[in-house]
Amino acid sequence: MGFLDNCCNTCETLAMASVPQQEWCEPYDLETALSNGTIFPCLNLEFYKAENIPCSICNPEGQSEQAKQLNQINAVSFAINDLTLYLDTHPDCKNGLALFKELTEKRLGLLADYAKEYNPLTQSSMITGTPDTEKYGWAEGPVPWEGGHV
Amino acid sequence: MWCYEKRLQFPVKIRKTCPKTAQLIISQYGGPDGELSASMRYLAQRYSMPVKKVGGLMTDIGTEEINHMEIICAMVYQLTKNLTPEEAKTAGFDAYYIDHTAGLWPQAAAGVPFTSLEFQSKGDAMADLYEDLAAEQKARTVYENLLRVIEDPDVREPLKFLRAREIVHFQRFGEALEMTKQKLDSKNFYYFNPEFDKKMFCQEKEL
Repeated sequence: MGFLDNCCNTCETLAMASVPQQEWCEPYDLETALSNGTIFPCLNLEFYKAENIPCSICNPEGQSEQAKQLNQINAVSFAINDLTLYLDTHPDCKNGLALFKELTEKRLGLLADYAKEYNPLTQSSMITGTPDTEKYGWAEGPVPWEGGHV
Repeated sequence: MWCYEKRLQFPVKIRKTCPKTAQLIISQYGGPDGELSASMRYLAQRYSMPVKKVGGLMTDIGTEEINHMEIICAMVYQLTKNLTPEEAKTAGFDAYYIDHTAGLWPQAAAGVPFTSLEFQSKGDAMADLYEDLAAEQKARTVYENLLRVIEDPDVREPLKFLRAREIVHFQRFGEALEMTKQKLDSKNFYYFNPEFDKKMFCQEKEL
């Protein structure tokens, strides 16, 4: 538990709150994590009026190929977002760091593939996905708030 | 420095126009416990945080709150983009329509405009971290209040996601509180303000 050396709990004292340090718990698969708003089952504390909301991205049947790929990017990227906050307070956690590296590499590949097939979601993926392009494609594709391809 | 990605952190696709729902959800754009307020709070407080890693966490959570603001705005936009003049008269949305048509403007559900009075940046790590912990709890309550009264599953799914993030952020701010406490004198955490009485902070413990 090397990471505990870096951020461990202080003794409880009067007039001061304490929050226990999260320990690593085995993450959800990426789609379930996005649907539940965390990769960590130990932090998924549901609200009774929001149980059993169907996960629209978890079932790939009926989704277009483009929607599937975008959902994959969203799921990987969200796992990285959640891991980032975890690593901010657990910088020495080997499990977290290994997963961060794995997902970040996967994400770069998915972004390049998406730029090649459809349109770029990041400026750098225009270069990684369509290196021979002769047109600046940043304006291509739907704006995110229109709900296209979801 | 920030970079834009042309996608939402959580996808939003709302098929049914509903100005009444938009008028409730807009509170998480410009309301007292909304995402604009959350992002501005953490991104303002981070500069003077005495523990570098805590400032880093605030940058990352503040950045995520901007993503959440975009999700909320996308929801309000999709709920009202095909609004008819007849629907614009919906109780609660009518006054908004007169001033903003179907454009996006940060306000609370009851029409109070966004102001920086919705949050604090106190220049005291303990005071600010307690504010942040409380802010995450208050936002969780708003999402639960919304989930109790909104039935459209297209709207409920992103709301459930956003509520869950409040709990994760609360945990991280709690860990940030512990990191800050570690750098202070546990016999009296209030002996000095580590953001202002810097000399004392450095003498106590190395950063």
